[in-house]
Amino acid sequence: MLERDQYGKRALDFVQRLQQLSTYEEISACVMKELEWFGFRHLTSFSIPAPGEKFKDCMWFNNRPPDYIERYSEQNYVLRDPVVTELRQNLTPYSWGDLRRNRPLKKEEIKIIDEAREWGSRDGMMIQIMTGSGSMSCFCPCGLEPDLTPRARAALEVIAIYSHHALKRAVLTTQRQEIEHVPLTRREREIMQWVAIGKSDEEIGQILSIATATVTQHVENAKRKLDALRRTYAVVQAIRLGEISV
Amino acid sequence: MIVILKGTQRRQHLGYFEQMFRLRHQVFIKDLGWPLPSANGREIDQYDVDDAVYFLDVTDDDILQASVRLVPSEHCSLVADYFPHLIETGAPARDPRVYECTRYFFLPLKGRGRDNRGARTRVLAAMVEWGLVNRLSHIQCVVDMAAFPGFVDMVPQTIPLGLPHPYGGGHGAPGGGDCIAFRWPVTREVADALHVYGRVVHRRAGNDPVRAAPKSRELIH
Repeated sequence: MLERDQYGKRALDFVQRLQQLSTYEEISACVMKELEWFGFRHLTSFSIPAPGEKFKDCMWFNNRPPDYIERYSEQNYVLRDPVVTELRQNLTPYSWGDLRRNRPLKKEEIKIIDEAREWGSRDGMMIQIMTGSGSMSCFCPCGLEPDLTPRARAALEVIAIYSHHALKRAVLTTQRQEIEHVPLTRREREIMQWVAIGKSDEEIGQILSIATATVTQHVENAKRKLDALRRTYAVVQAIRLGEISV
Repeated sequence: MIVILKGTQRRQHLGYFEQMFRLRHQVFIKDLGWPLPSANGREIDQYDVDDAVYFLDVTDDDILQASVRLVPSEHCSLVADYFPHLIETGAPARDPRVYECTRYFFLPLKGRGRDNRGARTRVLAAMVEWGLVNRLSHIQCVVDMAAFPGFVDMVPQTIPLGLPHPYGGGHGAPGGGDCIAFRWPVTREVADALHVYGRVVHRRAGNDPVRAAPKSRELIH
């Protein structure tokens, strides 16, 4: 049965909600709303780049303040930040507070952690996620007074795994659709523009002085290129991919 | 090639069982350090019963590459016997339509992460396909938290049954860590998710997914 606290139920309900979502916007909003309940305001979720991969292509979510990101990057803190360097020796989740307590930190390392306070984060978690192929990803929420009790940490670990995969999947799906997208011909674009304002194939045929069957063929070709089974979804895809505008 | 065997077929297919028990000993006792019963270099436990169903991935030379065991939770349940605290949803650990998946391993090809996706998923996909034919509702499992993200990656529909809890002395203890219980719904979507992950299904532009004919041998009579 559910334990006396609400952490288990919250995490399992969150997973169920997340599994219903597909767009990046919906997923990131759902993840941040859940993290806020635990007292986290910011999240960085990324994978460690493989050789030849760019770090920016492995970033799945980052809503730390832009001026903080700029300073962090300018100072090249990533090489000295103890929250990051701890990854070399620790593959279990840990908090910034755990590092202060368990590891003798240099002044410079303490300064890096302390600086984050100015941008609204006193403590945070580093949750490592190993993928099936052996590469590592990190899910790092942070905030002013986050809940870091043992049960909250257990819940966060589950939330982190599902959130990371959902965000990554949404990013990769969008990228794949953009790469695989075969552009429409000028005629297909013209016809989809008429479809978008609700014209039937027969009406479009009359407007363009071509046979209805020809219009139908063009619409079918456009649907195939846009990976759509229905006309309405083809229109949505055509707008999203910038083929037509309304 | 996927080979499916029942516990009752141990004598008929001694070679496969021998390979599997020896590899289980290597993987779970020697490599992972789990405190399991061991007999002459074989790992065999109380859930290797007649009702158990084994899914083996073997090469054309009959060399075992991966294996998983499925048992009816009604009679054999690791979750019910040892990890009932992992279920926080109130779902009963034993259910006639829920089978339990244990002793899953595959032998990865070094430095070939992408190719290993097929090796990882073939026996699991065969297990879910078998579950569909046998009208199971769910397959449940207990895994170490380090391995759990891999299962969520393969099957986004993975349902956690509770939060992770320490086992075997927790982190730092040899053979210890945190573990979690989860279920996979036995549905076409889950089977397809495994096929797609393992690249068993190939998508042709503009067409529906085409399932590559599995090269399998059904040994259940």
